[in-house]
Amino acid sequence: MTGPAIAPAYAGVDELRRVARELLESGEVRVIIGWEDARRGARPVFITDPAEADKLIFDTRCVHNLVTYLDPRRDHVSELGRIGLVVKGCDAKAVAGLLRESQLSRDHVVLIGMRCGGVLEEGELPEPLALTPENVAPRCYGCDNREPTLTDHLLGEPQPEPPRPVMTIDERVAALDDLPLEERWAFWTEQFSKCVRCYACRQVCPLCICERCIVEKTQPLWIESAAHPRGNFSWNLTRAIHLAGRCVDCGECERFCPVGIPLSLLNRKLQQIVHDRYGYTASDDPENAAPIGDYRLDDQQEFIK
Amino acid sequence: MNSQHSDTFEPRITAFVCNWCTYTGADLAGTSRLHMASNVRIIRLPCTGRIDPLFIVKAFERGADGVIVSGCHPADCHYTSGNYHARRRFAVFHDIMQFLGVDPRRMTFSWVSASEGAKWKDVVNETVANIRELGPYEAYRALAPDAVEPWPEAVDGLTPAGDQEPAAKEVAS
Amino acid sequence: MSERFFISETDLRGLTADLLDGGTEVIAPVATDICQSPSAVAATACTLDGSKVEIDYRQLTSADDLDLSRGLPQLSLKEFFLPEHEPLCRWRQKGTTVQVFEVPTEFAPRVVLAAKPCDAAALAVVDKVMNWDYEDELWNGRRAATTVINLACQVIDDSCFCTAVGAAPDDVKGADGLLTPVEGGYVYEPATDKGRALVEDFAARFSADVPADTIGGQADDERAAARARVADNLEIDADSVRDWIEANFEDPLLTHLAMRCNGCGACTGVCPTCHCFDIVDEQEGVGHGTRRRLWDTCQAPTFTLHASGHNPRDTQHVRYRQRINHKFSIYPLRFGEVLCTGCGRCTRVCHAGQDLVEILEAIDIAARRPRDAEPAEAAS
Ligand code: SF4
Ligand code: SF4
Ligand code: SF4
Ligand code: SF4
Ligand code: SF4
Repeated sequence: MTGPAIAPAYAGVDELRRVARELLESGEVRVIIGWEDARRGARPVFITDPAEADKLIFDTRCVHNLVTYLDPRRDHVSELGRIGLVVKGCDAKAVAGLLRESQLSRDHVVLIGMRCGGVLEEGELPEPLALTPENVAPRCYGCDNREPTLTDHLLGEPQPEPPRPVMTIDERVAALDDLPLEERWAFWTEQFSKCVRCYACRQVCPLCICERCIVEKTQPLWIESAAHPRGNFSWNLTRAIHLAGRCVDCGECERFCPVGIPLSLLNRKLQQIVHDRYGYTASDDPENAAPIGDYRLDDQQEFIK
Repeated sequence: MNSQHSDTFEPRITAFVCNWCTYTGADLAGTSRLHMASNVRIIRLPCTGRIDPLFIVKAFERGADGVIVSGCHPADCHYTSGNYHARRRFAVFHDIMQFLGVDPRRMTFSWVSASEGAKWKDVVNETVANIRELGPYEAYRALAPDAVEPWPEAVDGLTPAGDQEPAAKEVAS
Repeated sequence: MSERFFISETDLRGLTADLLDGGTEVIAPVATDICQSPSAVAATACTLDGSKVEIDYRQLTSADDLDLSRGLPQLSLKEFFLPEHEPLCRWRQKGTTVQVFEVPTEFAPRVVLAAKPCDAAALAVVDKVMNWDYEDELWNGRRAATTVINLACQVIDDSCFCTAVGAAPDDVKGADGLLTPVEGGYVYEPATDKGRALVEDFAARFSADVPADTIGGQADDERAAARARVADNLEIDADSVRDWIEANFEDPLLTHLAMRCNGCGACTGVCPTCHCFDIVDEQEGVGHGTRRRLWDTCQAPTFTLHASGHNPRDTQHVRYRQRINHKFSIYPLRFGEVLCTGCGRCTRVCHAGQDLVEILEAIDIAARRPRDAEPAEAAS
């Protein structure tokens, strides 16, 4: 079922396979969650048999944020027992998010961090590609955590910086900011009108942790669940603000959205807001308090009469 | 937007206020017979910390042209820190709504204490003036689901929908 | 051999224009360059001078928009028969008096052009459940009002497997006629009275004079080649798969194959045969509102959540198993047809890498395995 091993683009795969095998053999973890090479490209894999550790890969197609499998909503994963999880730097920030919010016990997971040089926008390719401005995941540009610190094992070699995408996320946000108010409204309502309310963005987000999402409360119906523009506006706005100061910019919500709504622009704007107002940047330090739920007596209040 | 609205158009404004400060302040404005616009319907909540941004969204969905959110000044919160939490939440909400293309003048945020009846009057009058200037919030109403047939006329004592909203009550005059 | 007509590319567009001029709604694939829309300067899919074409079924406003490049639309045709959301009735209430206003269940005639055979076949499959214990007036009303004309499919990728589930890239199941591209135009084969009516109503656009070399020639060859290409992707014995799933519901293989699923529900949204819906009451004010139905997904935990708090499908891997079970065992046992037409959309859309071709292959292998030779064991 698995294709032939291909030359991995990033160093450290041999070490990764060795560490994974040892963790499984010693019984320290019951499952390793990493990436494998399948018929349609790289994808998440759950390995319980040490003999299968050689399936693991790490290359520019490893876009998935596997921390979503640590989310408390994934009972079928936590039932497996202690987990060994392979993380990139951005993924490690999501682990920190779960720890910060007491959604994960640090003992439940062994983190295998990989030194990262950036990933592609999409991992569904037969071979890893070298990164170019056209194919690089835009979030990787300027990434501050390419060598995660929240790890138990840090593998691989230091990697060069990922290329600058043709247009960075910040430039796109700025382009929107420059539009007149009515055009921004037109842009977003057009984007949101495409939403089919599948909730893929929520399901895949490692930090959407609620067992019962507000959108599923139908008595009373706080967010209209039909995919009409009014319900969609309320839903997309709510999803975004519930992640304010918690989103780690892993890009999974946008990648999973089947109709291509540019959710990362909304997420990035919120990151800019919490940064500008409260000096907060997502990091993989679980001790760094999240901005919403926290306050300072002298917080800005220029918008309040 | 269309300033010709200002003559004929009566803005509908929903105010979410805390029980301890602004509600009492608004009451004071009333009992002091302060003159202010009668376009505001007040919804009283225990604390600004209880005001979910979704309330504002809901108000727009139901046809509000503008919204006021008001509570105790910093350091005055009946529950010590509810307004500090609310302040951060509304700062983020205020900024992101603007990014989505909502005119910030549609939403007024204020601190009004129990003794500030006069300030409440100013907040109300300014907000109403702003919304008069902006006109009805047609852009939001245009998000409504596909137009359906108009409601049939009154049957068995039930009036056509839309007429059932109680007429705007005057807060004070 | 069914009747065959020839229609040139120009006449096909002319026919589209005739229909539109006559006030008939026409639904067809439309290609849009999303980077050309004025506000898309900031869409992440677009670079500064980039372009990204998306194909969708749309209600045509002009015959020029009809896209015959035969790419696969992102979403299936189902939204035109079971919309993402639609009103079922409106109500108003005062005290204990409730008045209900129903929605119309008759629809104006419309034509779907260049439908994908897998999408049309799905309509015929879903017809069965829509007329099972309750006759769904809205579904049936739209079905009756619609003429569906397929375009034989040539854009086959590694996710397609229609031939493994009883459909084909040149199928007319669920459709009223089939267009097959040939030199200079299309061969049109009506399959139903509705399909024949199109030729009668627009006789000038069709010619009974089908170029000789296309009969048993180009058109048929290409169709056979397309079928063979799909068959290369997957061949299964759907009957044994059905029986194996029923008999081995608890087999760890079925849940093991689903570990990576995030329950995002994108697969059920894009699927032409997934038809589950939810019903919600949208209050629109005091004492009045609209009852709507909207797409639901078995991949969401709330799909089976009981009022008591108990959830019979309480983890994601059993919810994924349900999707497989319903499509390949429950539905065929009840209605005699697989609830899947092999369009491959669920595989393409799944960013967690769930691959239905691979999963069916694994179940097929398990189903063929002599039961006693190997004890059922966790697949690894
Ligand atoms: S955001 Fe950083 S850590 Fe994450 S994939 Fe990109 S470069 Fe690597
Ligand atoms: S909101 Fe999106 S980008 Fe942010 S953490 Fe969740 S999935 Fe990742
Ligand atoms: S993933 Fe996209 S389509 Fe689905 S609910 Fe989220 S925004 Fe809407
Ligand atoms: S199979 Fe894939 S697309 Fe379907 S629910 Fe699971 S993760 Fe989503
Ligand atoms: S299950 Fe997948 S392949 Fe089958 S009809 Fe649905 S989307 Fe297409």
